[in-house]
Formats: sequence, structure tokens, C-alpha cells
Amino acid sequence: MNYGFVIDNRKCIGCHACTVACKAEHDVPIGVNRTWVKTIEKGTFPDTRRYFSVMRCNHCADAPCVTICPVTALFTRDDGIVDFDPARCIGCKACIQGCPYDAIYIDPRSGTAGKCNYCAHRVEVGLEPPCVVVCPEHAIIPGDLDDPETEIAHIVKREEVTVRKPEKGTIPKVFYVGADFASLVPSAAPLSGTYVTSEGREPGVTPRRPAPATGNDGGLLAIAPLRAATAAIATAEAAPARRIYDAGQTHQGSWGWKVSAYLWTKSIAAGLMLVLPFIEGWSSPAHDSTLRLTAIAIALGFLAATGILLVADLKRPSRFLWVITRPQWRSWLTRGAYILMFFGLGVTGLAAAELAGAERLRAILIWAVAVLGAGTAVYTAFLFWQSKGRDLWQSPLLPLHLLVQAGAAGVAVMLLVAVAVPPISGQALGDLVTWLQRALGVHVLLALMELYATHQTKDASTAAQWARTGARFHVLAWGVVVLGAAAPIALLAVANTGAILAAGALGLIGLALWEHLYVQAGQKVALS
Amino acid sequence: MKRGFRPGAVERFFRMLAGKSSPVVPSPPPSGPLASYPDVASWDHWEEFDALAWPRRDKKTYALVPTICFNCEAACGLLAYVDKSTWKIRRFEGNPMHPGSRGRNCAKGPATINQINDPERILQPLRRAGKRGEGKWRAVSWDEALDEIAGRIRVAFLEKRHNEIMYHVGRPGHERAMERVMRGWGIDGHNSHTNVCSSSARLGYQLWCGSDRPSPDHANARFILLLSSHLETGHYFNPHAQRIIEAKMAGAKIAVMDPRLSNTASMADYWMPTRPGTEAAVLLAIARIILCDDLFDREFVRRWVNWEEYLRAEHPDASVDFDVFVEKARALYGRFTTHFAEAESGVPAATIEEVARGIAAAGPAFAAHVWRGAASGNVGGWQVSRALQLVSVLVGAVGTKGGTSPAGWNKLSPALFAEPPAQRFWNELLFPREWPLAHYEMSFLLPHFLKEKRGRLEVYFTRVYNPVWTNPDGFTWIEALSDEAMVGCHVALTPTWNETTIFADFILPMGHAGERHDVQSQETHAGTWISFRQPVLRAARERAGHPTQYTYETNPGEVWEEDEFWIELSWRIDPDGALGVRKWFESPYRKGEKVTVDEYYRWLFENSVPGLPETAAKENLTPLEYMRRYGAFEVKRDTYDLHETILAPDDVRDSEVDPKSGVIARSGAPTGVMIDGVPRRGFATPSRRLEFYSPTTAEWGWQEAAVPGYTTSHVHARGIDEKKGELVLVPTFRLPTMIHTRSANSKWLSEISHRNPLLIHTSDAERLGIVNGDLVRVTTEIGFSVNRAWVTEGIRPGVVACSHHMGRWRLTDDGGSRWGTAKVTIERTGDGVWKMRQAEGIRPFKSADADSERIWWRDAGVHQNLTFPVHPDPVSGMHCWHQKVTVTKALKDDRYGDVQVDTKRSMEVYREWLALTRPAPGPGGLRRPLWLARPVRPAPETFVIRD
Repeated sequence: MNYGFVIDNRKCIGCHACTVACKAEHDVPIGVNRTWVKTIEKGTFPDTRRYFSVMRCNHCADAPCVTICPVTALFTRDDGIVDFDPARCIGCKACIQGCPYDAIYIDPRSGTAGKCNYCAHRVEVGLEPPCVVVCPEHAIIPGDLDDPETEIAHIVKREEVTVRKPEKGTIPKVFYVGADFASLVPSAAPLSGTYVTSEGREPGVTPRRPAPATGNDGGLLAIAPLRAATAAIATAEAAPARRIYDAGQTHQGSWGWKVSAYLWTKSIAAGLMLVLPFIEGWSSPAHDSTLRLTAIAIALGFLAATGILLVADLKRPSRFLWVITRPQWRSWLTRGAYILMFFGLGVTGLAAAELAGAERLRAILIWAVAVLGAGTAVYTAFLFWQSKGRDLWQSPLLPLHLLVQAGAAGVAVMLLVAVAVPPISGQALGDLVTWLQRALGVHVLLALMELYATHQTKDASTAAQWARTGARFHVLAWGVVVLGAAAPIALLAVANTGAILAAGALGLIGLALWEHLYVQAGQKVALS
Repeated sequence: MKRGFRPGAVERFFRMLAGKSSPVVPSPPPSGPLASYPDVASWDHWEEFDALAWPRRDKKTYALVPTICFNCEAACGLLAYVDKSTWKIRRFEGNPMHPGSRGRNCAKGPATINQINDPERILQPLRRAGKRGEGKWRAVSWDEALDEIAGRIRVAFLEKRHNEIMYHVGRPGHERAMERVMRGWGIDGHNSHTNVCSSSARLGYQLWCGSDRPSPDHANARFILLLSSHLETGHYFNPHAQRIIEAKMAGAKIAVMDPRLSNTASMADYWMPTRPGTEAAVLLAIARIILCDDLFDREFVRRWVNWEEYLRAEHPDASVDFDVFVEKARALYGRFTTHFAEAESGVPAATIEEVARGIAAAGPAFAAHVWRGAASGNVGGWQVSRALQLVSVLVGAVGTKGGTSPAGWNKLSPALFAEPPAQRFWNELLFPREWPLAHYEMSFLLPHFLKEKRGRLEVYFTRVYNPVWTNPDGFTWIEALSDEAMVGCHVALTPTWNETTIFADFILPMGHAGERHDVQSQETHAGTWISFRQPVLRAARERAGHPTQYTYETNPGEVWEEDEFWIELSWRIDPDGALGVRKWFESPYRKGEKVTVDEYYRWLFENSVPGLPETAAKENLTPLEYMRRYGAFEVKRDTYDLHETILAPDDVRDSEVDPKSGVIARSGAPTGVMIDGVPRRGFATPSRRLEFYSPTTAEWGWQEAAVPGYTTSHVHARGIDEKKGELVLVPTFRLPTMIHTRSANSKWLSEISHRNPLLIHTSDAERLGIVNGDLVRVTTEIGFSVNRAWVTEGIRPGVVACSHHMGRWRLTDDGGSRWGTAKVTIERTGDGVWKMRQAEGIRPFKSADADSERIWWRDAGVHQNLTFPVHPDPVSGMHCWHQKVTVTKALKDDRYGDVQVDTKRSMEVYREWLALTRPAPGPGGLRRPLWLARPVRPAPETFVIRD
């Protein structure tokens, strides 16, 4: 058995019956959809046409949401249906990053992921999904792709079919007949602030908060042009088609400031432990030990903050332990959680060894912790690579960049510690200053490469363009480059205490701004 | 085969530590092809897994009860899944046993569950507590409402004020039941919405073939020409859309005439974006090509068109010879060259030519349909359907496989028990003498007539009808409805809040689909079916052995149904039977006792549906039980060429044959026609032929329009000054997700559709300095509205369009559904100008349904119909919807949703159009031709004007 769908655009009349039948079957809340009908218009009068395309989960043969899910809340059944279990979901939203098709949302009632599950509960009693049943045109054709006698198999064999984003390698099993390119390629019909029968929706995983009751036109509709400005990145470009109805993009901004902040806090913790082995003989052994203990304490603090941020970002925070107790080993979120856990244990062990004066153990642990710190810094790159919906994050520079960022953050904090807990040797201070200058320099170079180099895909370049334009340009130019790197590098050349303190602080702020810019930019692309 | 996941070693370890067992992998399900519906045999007890608990496999048990949708007119089948543990409706799917909809639905079918569970719905009878229109209500019992209303009607009947009782219906779907009630009361009080809907198209069809609706056999067509958007709305959206696309997939070509790129036009092979009102010119150009190039079906036209009558009337000197007719017809349409049609319509001559040849090639398999669209938009819209039908007739595509039949062939009009005789009153508020050919009641002029003191109303029922919002000139409706001297008591029977209920004295909550009884039959294809709407909870409970006396016992709150209401009300109007009303509401099975709704439908199914009793008997069911189980019954299929039916000797006995026309008549009533010496059934016209020439039209003052022709529209280009910013507004189009003003209570539909911007072409927008999203003022003859521009390539330059449905409003926080209405203020300035302003848009609100707090849209749209004056077509009586408007950027103080109207001016416009009429009496001193259909037709003697 291998279930899939054919969507026959030669027949679809854009009536939205499938959308509503699906809502009725699953009581899908207002604000989110398991299936919807994206509508585009193209051409100039009188050569104008409209295309309707049913959007939904592709039940990929190699489903990235299943791979990235840390707790097997999403899983592929042997009949090819990609199903999910809200009772296992922790609400980490990794699946939303993983899905290149905008098929997954967070249910506002349960805080757990939801999507089309092929109505597996109906399939098991021998019934078609209701979107299939309701369709006036029989434009949604379900069935077993492996059985050569089924209608769907005949269509897939005989007709010219296409799928959404085949380049993702997910092997989608929703096949479109007669679909226009602009229907299936999100960037070909840019997002718009408003649609013909519907207001556009602000991006976000949860439905928009109520607007203030201003009582006049301002309250009603003045928001529309503003929203258009924030949502439509690519409107300035000549588009082959216009999007006139859509209900998608619930993925946008699903990872918010807590994720950016977690990247930053763990970067500091990891970076400190990367620096630690090199603090040998900077001053007296006792003072070195104080420096190390201070660094370890700070690292543990930031590690705790990391854990708190990660848990707080879950839509079901009380289920956070399931990442450890119900691990899905292919997920880098799971692997990362274990890395963080062992890193935390290692740092704690190191603190104990330091305090107990267990010198040999400390010598071993300090390197083990450094390796785990490197893992802590870098694993997110692999998690981001599993986020197949985020083209910007597919960058091969990412592991190196994360390592450099951690290094910069670690050195910056170490420098602050060194200044705060004097004395250390001028040589050691000089080393730290040089390291920080180099790390920030490399970081800013990598950051600019991330945004300004040629990208492999249109979506990656759209995301980078978002980060480079509008208000973000000022964040990038002034925050990340000037204040976050150029200024600290210059200040470090002065090398008095005040300048060092300022440089370290500015460097850390610049790193934080970058994390946020990068994480947000990756999510700004239309996926459907 | 695994169905879930297999917990890994770590999970098993931690579960073991916690002392819990690991989930068991369940055994594989039986695999096989999937079905669309559970087999009927399991409809009493259907088990499935609860979708909301999944992947936990919680079994739920349902009773599956068929009913019919109550959103649009198509009467598609629904199948309610009634949870047998809670006796609540879980969801609606389609009824696979329904021959029209075949188990499929549009979005509005499954959305029915929203309407039923709507936390904003009216659950009890309400009585006005403050001044009329103030929005203050108190809940009353059904008894109080019934007694008060019945008392008023009784007094009116005793005082012979029968014409002061009126029932005004929006959505009918109440097949023949109200006709029976009105006649049982002996009044001429049936009013409808049809003259704001479809009566022009109807009149055109009626004049041609004696049946006022077309029944195209789309599924078998090779060429389909649509003037309305049948893939998204219209008669009959879902059933027709299925069959049109079926034909398309089988190779048929589709052409659509519409100035706006509808979804239908988008799916077509040919989009013909006509200038509004020029459609007949294009159709006549097509007819001309078919005539002049000898592409017409000579035999069909010769045998079935009343060309002899035409020649005798219009060319008395010519010989009555078919070739002469062809020559005259070619001359008649000689001016309709494709170049003329292109100049008029803007559609390229080459396209018209190509479509004409496509139609001719399809021949008898040419299906065509106009319902609203051009026919409803323009003065002379009835000539659009006349011209379209001319094309069908010429290619011999009438009554054929793949052609277009008269609706009467495919619609069952069931007889009811003890039918009362025709009423002996003629109500001039319904059919005033100025419009002798008005196809339906002059309903939208009711407030104008009341203001002119042509009559008053003692009790005025509106049922599922929202004239204040839907009809043109809504402020004049507000003026009339607010005045107790004009309307003594306004009773609104409705399943939903609407703008008209604000001006009611009683609001009586009636059921949605699945909450009431009804039968419906629609001509969706070449076949005849009847379907049964039933209150599904009542039916499910009765199936389970719990009898119910009244439907409100099982409906939410005290929501009732019309059938039982009318029986009860009639009984109370005439408790002792002295008025002669009560006897019509007595049981056909229990003498002298009040009829029950079961008995009503039992009689109907036993006596009025051919073949049903026999089919039911085969399953050991009574006809009523059969319909309660299956919900629909197919009476006939493949109904073609009925006009060719040869009359049996019995049918022609005691009949006379008119030697000149060949019409066969028995005691004056035509029953058939001699065609080449053979007595055949023919069509339901006076000539029993297809009336190319309409003697009726000629005799009743419209000689110049007796043949299909081209009427210059009131929005014709020559009256439009684009330099002044004048454009033609097409305000009629519907969305596939909405039905008039009754669907905003569906949260899922409102989420998809909640705004109606002004569609304007890029070139017009540039000329007027308007960019997409700009606030614009749309000025009509009587006022203006303020909307947002939607600049698009999907509309003809020179035309703007704004969809129906949106711009719903309420005056108070409770009196109106908050899912889809803006809160507005209405004020009237000293000089009689009405102003409406939106105080707040749509907001999330707290209710029993948590989704109401998740509402994310704010836009309620703009109410444009308020700014339209009435435009009654002088012949059909149809309101001609299209408007000449001026579009400008909004002024400084304009706000989104503003509406301003001067009703003094709207009365003037009314009088301007009134002056265009050619009043009765016609031949014989009649108000109206005797042969012409009329809803709830009164006794023949009332047709004679006696004052």
C-alpha cells in the first residue's frame, strides 16, 4: 500500500468545498488549515486566467517532518500515510521548519502539530477522505499508487503530472495534473497583504491577536497596506502571476526570539568551554582556577538559560523530557538535546573536578567538555539542514559559522571575566583580544557571505534579500557589522579596560542580533 | 504492516522505569478500495473512529440520516452523521442516493453544521420590546406568537381585508406547500424574491417554450455556452458544475459570456467579456451566422417553430412558406454582423465566428444557460434569454441529448392532499396593472407601493428573506417597514439574524437544512428526481423508537419548522372552521383532526411520486419510510424529445384541431399540435410550438419586441461618459462560498470570504489615479458607498464589479451575527438623507464556540445594494441590477463602509421607470394573459379588470 493523491487542475473549479469538508471532519480551528485552495491569476485582459490549486501535506515518501520530529509524534505508516499523534507532540515546531510545503500548523487548542493525515481514521474503516467525497468535480483522486489498477495509478502513469518542489528530494505523493507553474512555485506569485475575498493573514503560528477597537477605518483596514509591506518581499519583482487567494504561511515566524536567544546562550556556554583548555598559566595556578571556575559557572548559567528557553519555546513545555525519554534518533533536535545534556553533565563534572582538585580528571574533562562544546555549537547546523523548508539555512558555511560564533562569544565573555577578575598576564590578555578580533572578523565575513553570496535557490536568495532590505538593513549594517564587529575590533586595538568591556559587550550584542536576523530571515519565505 | 510507530529502546527503557507498558503495535487493518460512503444497509448503525481522538482508536456510532441542503436552490443531498451517544449532529456529508448532487457538495453543504451550531443563532421566538427597529427583544412562547398573529389574521379575514395578509419568501425550497397554505386561507398573498433574481431570464424562456427555466443536459453536450457563472453559483451550482466539467473532460468546448473573469469564465475555452448589456447582440450575431451559412437544423425549425404565425403577423403579404421565413429571418438579423457585435460588445468578431461554428458543429448537443448575469443586469434582459434560446432552436438543440430542455420536463411538481381551489382575490400590491407581463410579483417595489398608498399590510410575513439588505433601495424598505401604518405586524420567519429582522415585530426561528421538512425537485439534468428534507435528529430518534410530536422538540432551543407552524397557525386562525380555512388543514387519514407532518408527507409520497410506492414496497417500506431512509427518489431518467411524443387516441378524443395552427385543444385548453399530420405533445405555449414570434408580447403592447431582439441597455456605452469617471457597475456576482445573506453564520465560509472590494481594470484605475487598495467612492443615482479598489486584469475596461453577500451589518451587539456583520450607526439628516457608518468591523467575541475568539479578519465588506435605486424592467418587472456609477478616490471624510442615500431621489427614479411601462388592460380587458403562468394563480375571473 502506498497512498497518495492526484489533484486534477483541469477539473478544479476553486469552490473550497474540500477546505470546508476537512474543517468539518477534524474540527480544524479558525486560523489554520489542513488543506486549502490557493488561487492565482495571470495574464492581461482579455488573456487572463485563474488557477486553483489544492494545497496540503504531500505525504512524502521521505518526509522531512518525520525525520526532524524529536519524539516520533509524526510518523510514516506502512501504507504511506504520514500521520501524527498529538498525544506525543511536544510542540517544538521543528516539523514546521522541516516541511517545505507549509503543510503543518500548531493547533491553537492543544499546542500540538496538525496537518492532513489522509484521514487515516476513515481509511481504516474503508472510507475516502471527505475532501475527496465532497469534491463536485472528482478533482481529488485518492488511492494506492502501488496498485497498477487504481485510478490514481493510471493517472500518474498516463498523464503529465508534477509535484511541488521535487528538488527537495522529499518524494512528494500529491501529484498535480494541469497545474500552472505559478500555482505550485510559491515565489512565482508573491504574497499579498490582502486577497480578493479575504484579508491576508499576518504570519505566525497562532491566530492573530485582536486588533485594538479603534472604531473607524483605521481600525478596519488601514492595517492592510502595512501588512502588505511586511509580507510581500518580492512584490517589486515582475511576477508571472498574482496570488488572489491564499490561506497559508502559518509557518512564518514559528520560531521566534526564544530560538534566536537559545542559539546565543548556548553559543556563549559552548564558546567558554572551547576557550577553557587554553587558559593555562595565565597567572597563578590558583587564579587560573578561579578564572576557570568563573567561566564554568557562567557557562552553566547560560546552559541553564538555554534549557529554559528551549523548554519555554515548546507549545507543550511540560512534555520537554520526552525529547530524552522518547528519542527519535534521526532528529538533530533529539541528538542536540543529548549533546546539550552530556555537555551539561561534562561541565558539571569539570566544575567538581576543579573544586576537588582532581587534576588528572580535570585534564581529561576539560578536553572532553571542549569537544562537547564544539558539538553544542555546531549541532544546530545539522538541525537547520534538516529544516528543509528553510532554504537559507541550507548553507554549507553553517557549521563553521556556528563554531566561529561560539568562539567569538566564548572569548568575549572570557575577556569580560578576565577584566573583571584581574590580574592576568598581558600576554594572555593580548591573546584573548587577538582571538576576539579574529573571530569577530571571520564571523562578520561569514555573515556577509550568508547574505550577499549567490544562493543556490530563489527562496534562499529571497530570504537573504529580506535580511538585507528595509529596517533589517540597518540591523545588519549598524548592529551586526559596525557595532557588533567593526567597533569591537577597533576598541580592542585601544585595549584599555573600558574599551575591552565595551568591545566584549558590543560583540555579544552583535552576535545576538545576527542570530535573530538569520533565524527570522530563514522563515520569511512563502512555502506555498 | 505497522500502523503507528514502534517505540525505541530508550523509550521502552524509560517506560519500564516508570512502570508503564509500551504501546502495542496494533494489527493491520483490512485493506481494499476505499468507498465514498458507508453502505445504506449500515446507515442505522455506522461505526467509525473518532477523528478528534485519532490515532487513539475510539469507536463512535452514528445514525446516518439523509436530508437536503438549504443554502442555495439546488437542493443537493446531505447525509447527517448523528452521534448515537449524544444525539447531536457530528457533520454533514453528501447523500450518495441523490440523483442530482450524487453525493457531492460545494463548500456550503458541509458548512451546514456551522449554521446549526452557530452560537449566535436565534433559539426562541422573539417579540419586539421597544420601538420597531430599536433592536430590543423579549423571548416569548410559540403559543403567544401564534395566538397574536392568528388573531390579527382572523380579524382581517372577518373584515374582508384579505389583501392585507402577505407572505414574502426569499429562499423557497418549500415545494407547493405555501401555495396550498395561501389558497387554504383564500388569499392572494404570495410574494417572492424572483424579480430581484431571475424573472427576466425566466420570461424569455417562458415566451419561447412555455416553461420558464432551461434544463440543459450539460453532461452530454459537445458545446456549452454559459451566460451565468454556473461553475461557481447559479441554478444549479454543484449539480451543473459536475456535469459541465464532465462534458469538458469528454471533449466539449465551453464558452462563457461575462464582463468579469468569473471562475467559470476562467475554466472556459472561450471567455467572451462583453460590455454589459450587449450579450443579445453577440447571440444574434451567432444566430445570423447559423442562419445565413445554412448551419441551422432546417427540419427542426420547420416543424417546431411558429414561423407561420410570424409570417402571418409580421409579413401578411408574403406567402406562408418556410423558405420565405428563412429569407425574412436572415433579413431580420442582417444587421447583426460579427463586426457590429464586436463594435457593441467588444468581443472580437473572430471569436464570435469561432463560437458560432462550434455551436453549429455541436448541433443538437449544444447546451446553453442564462440565469441571472446579463438577463438580470439589463433592461430588456428577457431578450437575452430569448436570443440565447434562438441559438438553441436554430441548431435543433431543444429537448435533445446534450441540448437544453424546458425545465418542466425534468421537475416534479407533486400534488398535495385536498388541494384548495384558486383564490378569488387579485392583490395589486403583487401584480399591479402597470406590468401585465411581470413574470413574478413586483416584490421589490412593495415599499414604493406602500408609500404611494396603493394598499397597506396588516400581517406581513418575511420568510428567509432579507429585503432591507438584498433588495435595491433598502432605506426605502426601512422607511416602509418602520411605519406601523403601512405594515401592521411584521413577522420574520428565519433561521438566521438578518437586517430585515431588525424591523420585525416577531422573529420566529425556523430550521436550517436538517431541521425541517420539505420536498424539492430541480431540473439539474435530463432526468427527474424528488428529494426529501427532514429534521435529522427527529428522524434519527424516531428510527430509534422515540416518537416526536413537534420538530422543535429535537431542534436546538425552540427552533421550529414551517410546515408545522403553518398548520398550527391556520388552525388558530379558524378554530371552529367557520371561515372555511380549517378544513384544509385536517388530516386526510383522520377526519376532522389536525394533520400531522407525517401524514402530510405520507399522502404526498403515496400519491404524487410515480414509481415510489412500488420501489418502496420492494424493500418492504412504506413510501414515507423509503424517503426517510434514502432521502431522494429518481422518477425518470434520460428525458429527451418529449415534445415529439405522439398523442394516444385517448388523448385526442373530444379534442378540436385548429385548422390554421394545428393546435389540438380540449375544451379550450391546448394539449398538443399536429406536426406534418401527426398529433404530438409539443411545448406548453399557446401554439404548442416554440414561439419565435410571441403573439402575447405583441398583443400586450410590445409589438417591436415580439421576436428575439436586442434591447439597448440602460447601461449601454453610449450613455457612459468615461471622461467623467463614469463606469458600469456589475453588482450581482456571487461567490462559490456564500449564499446571499444566509451564510455569514458559517465560520468556515466567512473565514474564506469576508470582503467585497470594487474590481476595477488597471487602465481605468490608472486613468482615475487609483492604486490597488485605495479607498474609493462609488456614486449611483441616489447616493454612494465607500469601498476599497481591487485593481485587476480580470475585468473588462470600463466595467467595475463588486460581489454580492458582503457588507452585512447590525445595529446592536446582540441582534445580528457577529461572525459576519459590522456594527453600524444609521442616521437620517433633516433633509431625508440616510447615512450609514461602520462603528466597528468584525471582532473576536466570546461564545460557546471557542473559535469565535480566534476570528482573525476585521473586514465585513461594504453594503452596496443600499445605494441602488429600483429599475423595474417595463416588461418582465425584473429589477435591472447594473448601475451607471461614478468612481472617484474617496473624499477626505469618507470612511470605509460609508453609505449615503437620498430616498426622495430614489422615489423619483422609481417613477421614471414606472413611466416606461405599458399598463393593462390587454386584450379582453384582462390584467394579464390567461395562458401566462403566475405564481399561486388566482381564479380566472380575477384576471378581468372590473373597476
